[in-house]
Amino acid sequence: MADGDAAVIETRGLTKRYRDTDALVDIDLDVVPGEVVGYLGPNGAGKTTTIRLLLGLIRPTSGTARVFGLDCRRDAVAIHRRLAYVGGETSLWPRLTGAETLHLLGQVSGHVDTAYRDALVERFSLDPSKKVRAYSKGNRQKLVLIAALMTRADLLVLDEPTDGLDPLMEQAFRLSVREARDRGQTVFLSSHILSEVEALCDRVGILREGRLVELATLADMRHLSALTVEATFDGTVPDLSSVPGVSAVHVDGRVVTCHVRGPVEPLLRVLADAGVTGLLSREPSLEELFLARYGGTPDAGAD
Amino acid sequence: MPAPTESVAAAPAPAGRSTGTVVASLATRAAARSAVLWGAVFAVTVAASAVSYTTIYPRQSQRDALAAAYGRNQATASLFGPAPHLQTVAGFTAFKVTMTLMVLGAIWGLLTGTRLLRGEEEQGRWEVLLCGSTTPRRATGQTLWGLGVGVVVLWVLTAAGTVLVGREAKVAFAVGPSLWFALAMVATAAVFCGVAGVTSQLAATRRQAAGFAAVVLGASYAVRMVADAGVGLHPLIWASPLGWVEEMGGLTHPRPIALVPLVVLTGALAATAVHLAGRRDVGSSVVADRTRARPRLRLLYGSTGLAIRLSRPTVVGWWTGIAVAGLLYGLIARSAGSTITGSSVHDVLSRLGASGTGTGTETVLGVCFLVLAALVAFVAAGQITTTRGEESSGRLDNLLTRPLSPTRWLGGRLTVALAAVVMGGILAGVFTWLGAASQHSGIGLGTLVVAGVNIVPPAVVILGLGALVFGFAPRATSTVVYGYLAWSLLITVVGGIGATSHWILDTSVFHHMAASPAVPVDWTTDSIMVALGAVLLAVGSAAFRRRDLAGA
Repeated sequence: MADGDAAVIETRGLTKRYRDTDALVDIDLDVVPGEVVGYLGPNGAGKTTTIRLLLGLIRPTSGTARVFGLDCRRDAVAIHRRLAYVGGETSLWPRLTGAETLHLLGQVSGHVDTAYRDALVERFSLDPSKKVRAYSKGNRQKLVLIAALMTRADLLVLDEPTDGLDPLMEQAFRLSVREARDRGQTVFLSSHILSEVEALCDRVGILREGRLVELATLADMRHLSALTVEATFDGTVPDLSSVPGVSAVHVDGRVVTCHVRGPVEPLLRVLADAGVTGLLSREPSLEELFLARYGGTPDAGAD
Repeated sequence: MPAPTESVAAAPAPAGRSTGTVVASLATRAAARSAVLWGAVFAVTVAASAVSYTTIYPRQSQRDALAAAYGRNQATASLFGPAPHLQTVAGFTAFKVTMTLMVLGAIWGLLTGTRLLRGEEEQGRWEVLLCGSTTPRRATGQTLWGLGVGVVVLWVLTAAGTVLVGREAKVAFAVGPSLWFALAMVATAAVFCGVAGVTSQLAATRRQAAGFAAVVLGASYAVRMVADAGVGLHPLIWASPLGWVEEMGGLTHPRPIALVPLVVLTGALAATAVHLAGRRDVGSSVVADRTRARPRLRLLYGSTGLAIRLSRPTVVGWWTGIAVAGLLYGLIARSAGSTITGSSVHDVLSRLGASGTGTGTETVLGVCFLVLAALVAFVAAGQITTTRGEESSGRLDNLLTRPLSPTRWLGGRLTVALAAVVMGGILAGVFTWLGAASQHSGIGLGTLVVAGVNIVPPAVVILGLGALVFGFAPRATSTVVYGYLAWSLLITVVGGIGATSHWILDTSVFHHMAASPAVPVDWTTDSIMVALGAVLLAVGSAAFRRRDLAGA
């Protein structure tokens, strides 16, 4: 992400209130060209609300949302010329066939890379001669994915796009997103499948109860988080709870697991003195990072 | 009746006892709920008709004059059913409401039946239930049972309304005939629940199932119309369920024998539905449904083309219905009109909206075009409801997240709706002329096409009202539009007798329409209606552009 690039997505104080509930509060988002940004949060955290605001389908209560520097509501049509969207809960016209649907959506989009469309149909092994009514949920999802990807839009806005896809198709989806990134397309991917976000995204935003609690690269998030250490001993297991930076100590026979934040040197010294025979350390997975921000425990909370 | 079932359905179905009847409970609750609403309408219609007769025709001499002039009129017999005993409150009330209520009852049956038997399955709700301990046959049987309960609720309310108004000294209906009459009024509801049961097995979608059932209803109406037209085909009456209801004899001369075919047919249809349900897979239909099709891309150039493609089957169905109705009206108009002489008949028909000094044929056609106006208004209501359906289903998201402005989408959609309505009016005029010309009625094509165009403005108002509600309170679209349409029709049917205040009459959109060709078209009022509709359409569109998209 080069500095100075004009943001593809930029929101300032973006807020959406429905009668008495705050769906989204004060969101400041910046997405630069060519980035793949993951947008995480459990159901009801406000992911879809954010995306519908970006698409101009609903109006913000306060704050601004701009895409390609244009107002999301007023300039929706201009924005949509350069954007493609996939929703997770897709309804299509049941009496149209797959091919008819692709044709229609291509016509409305205005520009289609037909060679790429055919390649995608092949890749996702979709049978376009079937009527939408006869498709399974996974097949309908493939259809809208193809319809979005085939436009080669500058910005892909994906809202839980792999709902209902089997693992094989999930791989096809990841391949397609990487292709898009390699071509310089920007991707905004909302998901609750953490492995998907971990595999694809440069930066991750975490949404909790309508508020953006984190927006950082995975490396930064890891850096600021605790390392998980698992140590095995021959003899007596030392008491690690008083070592600086160490927390969540758990002893199971002669195996100790704990979290350590900050410098690891004090811990290593204690372990070496106690005659450690096996040592395993790993960075927290996105899942752990995510849960830490939801569990509310200060333990792995980065900042 | 709904009380014990409510608790079963509401509870999270403890395994065992209640799972066996859960479908019946859900169906009963849904059917009974809508039957309460429709039953109230039935009861009010009966009561209002009886009371208004006693106010308009207080003296026996007036009643005798009415019966003499009107009782043997083939025009009204063909349109609204035979009218014996008009000199009594009972005879008049039965004549006044029978046609309306038996058609309404049939519509309730086919809508509720297809919703519960096919709509639920289409939305995948049955799969959840059928994973449990029940079979498709049993589930269908239980749903039919629930629909039966709905019919009973409808009957109880209609009977209550009839018995209560009958206690009025001036009205004086005996209890026995009141109960019998109420049974006749809900008989078509039972038959068409059965028809819906069978078509729900044959068709793959609810829309298709309702369409098939509507064709059966249209055919029943047409057969009855011809049988009552006084052209020597009266025995045909026994070929139509609507005819059997007429033969039940209303409030004045009960004929129990006519109940036999109604009961036998309903039972046979229910049995057929249950039988067919066991012979197909869940989610599929008996008639093989094509899951593949060659792409037809001609209309899929954009959102307006899509609207045409999606509306086409339904709209063509309505157009066919309107054309056939117009043709039949044209065929009977002359012979029916020839029985109209004397000013008293003109007076009676004028109360139904067709006042004027035209020939008998023109007077009859004036009333016919009122019915056609209602059909065209239904096209408008259906169009605006499907427009809302595109949004509530989420399908609209696919279009509006692409470079297409909401205003342009809605503009295209409403243009298709307007075209459907205008074409409906023109077809009504042309086909009525075809029927009339074949009988050498001497009414010109121009006159009847103008009469057809004349029925468009009320539909434009309905469309405008729908667009307005769609713009400001989208979730209320269907309720408000159909509610207002039903209100307007009811006011016209009941108010046509003349007792209602002008202020109430004015709320009916049909009241403002001149009954052409019986009277000259009132172009000023028509222009005002079209202008009003246009303003409402514009305001609704503007409001839609400003609001959030709203799901179901």
